Amino acid sequence: MKHDLFIVRHRKWFIFFPLVITVLMLIPLVKARVNTNLMDYLPDDIASKINLDKLEQQFGKYDPVMVIFECEDVLQPITLERIRMLDKVFNRSDKIEKVLSVYELKYIRNVEGSMLVDPVVKRIPESAESCESLRLEIKDNPLVYNLLVSKDFTCTLMLLNPVETCSDKELVELIRQTLKDTPGEERVYVGGLPTLRYDIQRIAIRDILILMPLGLFIMLLTLYFSFRERKGVLLPFSIVCMSIVVAMGLMPLLGFDFSLIAVLVPVMMIAIANNYGVHLMTRYQELNVIHPRWGMKRIVNESVKKLFMPIILTALTTIVGVLGLLSHVMIPPRQMGIVTSAGIFFALLTSLTFMPAVMSGVKKGKASKHFNETPNDLIGKFLSWAGRVVTGNPRTVIAVFTLFVVLSGIGMTRLKVTINQDEMMPVNNPLRQSVALLNQQFGGTKSLSVLFEGDIKSPEVLQAMDRFGSDVKKIPEVSNVTSLATVIRTMSKAMNKPEDAFYNKIPDDRDAIAQYIELYTMSGDPSDFEQMVDFDYTRSVVTVQFRANIYKSYKKTESAIQQLASDIPYCTLIAGQSQIEKELADAVITGQISSLLFALIAIILLLWLIFRSLRAGLMGSIPLVVSLVCTFGLMGWFGLQLDIATSLLSSIAIGLGVDYTIHLFWRMNHELLHGKSWNDAITYTLRTTGRGIAINAFSVMVGFAVLLFSGLTILKAFGFLIIFSLLLCLLCALILIPALLKLGQPTFLFIPSKYQTD
Amino acid sequence: MVLAGGMLLTMLLTAQANEAREIVLKANDMVNLASMEMNATLKIYDAKGNVRIRKVKDVTRTFNEIVKTKITFLSPADVAGTTMLIYDYKAKDDDMWIYLPSMRNTRRIVSSDKGKNFMGSEFSNADMSKPNPDDYTYSVLGSKNYSGKDCWMVESICKTEAIADGCGYSRKISYIEKSTSLTHRMEFFNADNILFKVMTFNEYKKMADGYFACYMEIKNLANGRRSEMVVDVLKSGSDLNETSFSAVNLGK
Repeated sequence: MKHDLFIVRHRKWFIFFPLVITVLMLIPLVKARVNTNLMDYLPDDIASKINLDKLEQQFGKYDPVMVIFECEDVLQPITLERIRMLDKVFNRSDKIEKVLSVYELKYIRNVEGSMLVDPVVKRIPESAESCESLRLEIKDNPLVYNLLVSKDFTCTLMLLNPVETCSDKELVELIRQTLKDTPGEERVYVGGLPTLRYDIQRIAIRDILILMPLGLFIMLLTLYFSFRERKGVLLPFSIVCMSIVVAMGLMPLLGFDFSLIAVLVPVMMIAIANNYGVHLMTRYQELNVIHPRWGMKRIVNESVKKLFMPIILTALTTIVGVLGLLSHVMIPPRQMGIVTSAGIFFALLTSLTFMPAVMSGVKKGKASKHFNETPNDLIGKFLSWAGRVVTGNPRTVIAVFTLFVVLSGIGMTRLKVTINQDEMMPVNNPLRQSVALLNQQFGGTKSLSVLFEGDIKSPEVLQAMDRFGSDVKKIPEVSNVTSLATVIRTMSKAMNKPEDAFYNKIPDDRDAIAQYIELYTMSGDPSDFEQMVDFDYTRSVVTVQFRANIYKSYKKTESAIQQLASDIPYCTLIAGQSQIEKELADAVITGQISSLLFALIAIILLLWLIFRSLRAGLMGSIPLVVSLVCTFGLMGWFGLQLDIATSLLSSIAIGLGVDYTIHLFWRMNHELLHGKSWNDAITYTLRTTGRGIAINAFSVMVGFAVLLFSGLTILKAFGFLIIFSLLLCLLCALILIPALLKLGQPTFLFIPSKYQTD
Repeated sequence: MVLAGGMLLTMLLTAQANEAREIVLKANDMVNLASMEMNATLKIYDAKGNVRIRKVKDVTRTFNEIVKTKITFLSPADVAGTTMLIYDYKAKDDDMWIYLPSMRNTRRIVSSDKGKNFMGSEFSNADMSKPNPDDYTYSVLGSKNYSGKDCWMVESICKTEAIADGCGYSRKISYIEKSTSLTHRMEFFNADNILFKVMTFNEYKKMADGYFACYMEIKNLANGRRSEMVVDVLKSGSDLNETSFSAVNLGK
């Protein structure tokens, strides 16, 4: 009794406390909030967000839902009638602040000396002639053609900007229901950021509700097939469940919203939290085979004593790796780093306390067949094969790995960063189709607002705005430029004859400009200008629409626009959602690099400290480097882009992947110190600890595999890539590292570790 | 018995509708728009409280049942002299011309939509002209004390959707003072029966052939904007002859 561990002696308390903590951590979950607005994921003090805030303070928030109607000819009466009815319904809704459609935007023109300001479609054409004349009018209207109606007239757009109090859910559901109530033959695609946010939120909640139980079920199966023993299944499972509750409960407790990547937290807990329990269970089964006469308490005592340090160290390295996310620029990865590491810490504590406490009170199981000299299961056969290959042909093993790394590594040169938020959705999602249509049929999905400040009615400012618009239009990616100058020019065409001096130009006289504007407010709708110019005509916005689907092309276009703006003294600000998207992409890159470097350096230092050798640190980091080079290379080869989710890859892979090497080093050190030869030590380590490592790795991979069932493409890609990188870490730990050890025979494995317990 | 009851009810309703119509017609007749001259200040406030001030001179005369109105900007300086001429026909769309002094040129502008904003304010063109009484069905909703005045609350519902589209609302409730037949408040409702605009009339001035409100305010509850029209100088009748109301003479 007195030789029993403290935990075993006071087992009731160690069972009771974790259960109480778990129940208490359920309480904050009631207050949990979901936030899928990607713009909120960046800190408020970044330049692009500050710029957009400034712009929105002046011109109000413009965050519309886009509805695209696609058919053979959008000018056919049946389509125009449907759009007219929808326009009317949306205009009446108190949830929608502004509707932009062919019934709202104006056509300013000259007809027999009169200036006409009318909606683009005033009446539905009744004959083929009137339809063709409407087509010509639209082609002649720079405020509509290619902006609201596609050049081939197969698509038209309706923009619906909500009132500030309207939530994404209310808005999107209203629009979808209204479209349903007003059926037609046109294909309708609903897009825009409110739709994206709403759909992601729905999918993220669905993911949590489906993926978590699925992950837990798959984990139960994996544990059953690994241990074929009830306690081998239920104990690691209960630790996972408790850790999930702690990690998730911590989010609302710390005031964190559930972000899009919060879906990953329970999945990561499922994957990681059973690691330590799996090793304990493996050691228990191993001791049960070696010492069949030992009682349960003795086996538990021995297992905990032997594994206490390696488990603590592997948990510590995982926590350090995950904490690498704290150096991420984006907020959710930082929050994820905190709650996940807290969850892992809780899993560590319960694995070393709760689990032995429960185990010591239950009956011992039958001896497992897995630890026989001639194992007959798949893992055992693989480990035996690995032992033979590594000890027999270490150089070949190293050569094969090197070749693979080089070939994969070339793919890294093709790696791209996404700037398209819609790519989070599956390809067949209507939202992605709407983005594709905006790129194919309209002027693209990216836009920037360039703020002009000064006396907007003065010819100098307006002419500068006009020149800027013409210059910007010369940039190949730019499709449309709209500004007050565009309207004044259009009015000058409507007010004057082609032979007049004022025709198609910005007047040289301030009063003339003021009178044009006054005239418009009399004949058109004064709110038409709200998005272009402020109330007292001191600030005006030029909107530049362009196509840029990759980071490089966006950067090129933005810098060309910035260059042109820098030459104009009235240009004071460039802002837009696209700029934030680009900054998000920058954050993905810098976040990836910073968290990778942080985690890698921390791991090298930790290994150096544990094994008292820099060589151990460097050697231990080889699987991580190999795995990351190959993973990023694979992404490059397969065209998978870096995004907010994949930017978490390196930290998580490093934190998890290093565990395998630590366990391997630990056991090798033990076996070598007990006089085994290199070949025997490798073969024996692979057969025993290698089994724990493999089961651990597979259960982690299986845990992450549930992400393949996610409704979000980025989480699917993340799931695939993390499995791939962990598989590589596993293969490196079980094949490459032993081969390197065999060849290098490093001395650090002969140094008795001060952490070894015997 | 049932038939008699039904007939009685129909008669009562008809009588009530007729009474409401009479109240509205009398209220319309109390306001004189046919011939007058005035200088007014139009204050246009945005939702943040910023104000844009326009001073205008408005002359109205009726020739052969066509109400002709000439509105000339007096300030701000950059639009001073800009003149708008409107012919308000009973049976067809308005004709509208504008003279821009910077171009020394008169242009015709076309706009059939009476629901459109009047000179960039929250007032609509329909608010600034007399409505056609046959466009609405009327009913008396009851009596109410409004600002110390005993008023009828009369509801006017647009007869067709086209009329509603044209004037920019589907129904309105007018607060008409019982003793004077002057309208003091109008509440405008959209097609979803949501109150979206409130217009108030104050400082009625008695003229030779009727009354005119020298202070009007309109609040748009949907967008938070409001506008005020303050009449600075008001004169009944006008000496301007018909030639002055012709498009060719606008700049003269």
